[in-house]
Amino acid sequence: MIVTQIAHIIADYVVFLELTEEEELNLDTAVTMMEALADQLENLDKDFLRELIDAFAAIAEEYSDEAQRVVRDIAHNFYLEEALAADDPVRLAQLEALRDARE
Amino acid sequence: MVQASGSSERNAFSRWLRTGKVPSALGPDGLELKYNPWHDLADGQFTFAGAGRHDGSSNGDTTNAGNGRTSSHVGRAPRIGSRTAAHPKAKVPEARPLAGVGQRSLEHGSVGIPPARAPVTPPSSQSSPVAEFVGGVGQGLYDVSAGTVTGVRAALTTNPVTTVRNAGRGIAGMIDTAIAAEDTPARVQLTRAAAAVDNASAREIGRATGSVAGNNALAVAPGAVLSKVSAMRSLRMARPRTIYDPPQIGWVKETVTSDKPWKTYNDTAVGSRPGQAPTLIRTMPDSSKRPVKFDGIQGDYVIDRKWKIVTAPRARSQILRQSEVLAQHRLIGVWEVPTPVQKIKALKLLKRMNVTNIKVRVVKP
Repeated sequence: MIVTQIAHIIADYVVFLELTEEEELNLDTAVTMMEALADQLENLDKDFLRELIDAFAAIAEEYSDEAQRVVRDIAHNFYLEEALAADDPVRLAQLEALRDARE
Repeated sequence: MVQASGSSERNAFSRWLRTGKVPSALGPDGLELKYNPWHDLADGQFTFAGAGRHDGSSNGDTTNAGNGRTSSHVGRAPRIGSRTAAHPKAKVPEARPLAGVGQRSLEHGSVGIPPARAPVTPPSSQSSPVAEFVGGVGQGLYDVSAGTVTGVRAALTTNPVTTVRNAGRGIAGMIDTAIAAEDTPARVQLTRAAAAVDNASAREIGRATGSVAGNNALAVAPGAVLSKVSAMRSLRMARPRTIYDPPQIGWVKETVTSDKPWKTYNDTAVGSRPGQAPTLIRTMPDSSKRPVKFDGIQGDYVIDRKWKIVTAPRARSQILRQSEVLAQHRLIGVWEVPTPVQKIKALKLLKRMNVTNIKVRVVKP
């Protein structure tokens, strides 16, 4: 349950960084903060990060329109699956292939 | 080996420099055929350039008995800007590729100077590219003015380096004058001239260079000479050097605070200032101006440090903004990342977005 609450906090923060207008938030600063957030997420406990990734997919339905896409893509855009598979070259290769196919 | 000579070859060479087209002929076996319009009146055999009768189409009937080769060439030099090349009628039966390829360095070897008043050097004395070049210069000059030959020969009969240096200023002036008189962009001509080194013997290059003295035609110098000439004169008449302004770097206040490693990493980029971020002004399609922030500046390289690579839409748009502003300022961007893993991610992301003016390197914290 707590992982869902934390997922909401993180998702709201990401939506803020991603969708706030330029007049209110400097675009380059927003990207810098995303990079910092990516580092913090990667350093989470692996089991918790796994639950968090799953939670992002679940709570995305609670957001609308563009925010929903942003939340659903958090794991992809922040390389979270790759962080979990850091010690598994085979899995990393699979993820890379999936990423190439998606993009 | 047949000695190619005469203004017909110079015409052809000059034509190639201007048009990029080589009036070549190939035999049935694919080998290049070369032409020698000079024949001995007595027995009809081929002779060296200037001896015997010239059967070239553009030179009329020029007959020299024995070794009298001087006066007939004066005034017959190719006209500036001429785009027609005369094709000699006589065909050399033994076709061979151009000699001297790969042996044209003017910086090597000893100086074997052939007499300037003997434009045709016997094949046995053609071992040195320097001698080839100097001989060619003399030959080309001699066609125009014997007095010029004397002066240039005196300048060229020193060691190779000094020869190039001494002749450089004069040759530079010739090139400037010639190129200024041409409508072909100097850049194109210089490119062709440099490429000529790969396809012409030292003698041919030297001859073309010498011809300029009297004819104001395009000078051809090998790369080594050309670089020295350019350094001395910079070809200011033909192609003014484009001078770019130094990067228009602005500085904006940056108040983001954190005690995390990423903050320290970003703040320690080369050229960074405490509490400030370097910016480049991006000109929007509607002519409005917006700054794009970076983390450092090193010469003409603008640095952005990335602690982690993310592919969020806003991060992708940042890449496009950076690439565009770098292109507007004619600069190259450098992403500095802390690990090789991040570098791989960055390279793949930039490749997917077809961004080529941002490089990536690993700079450990």
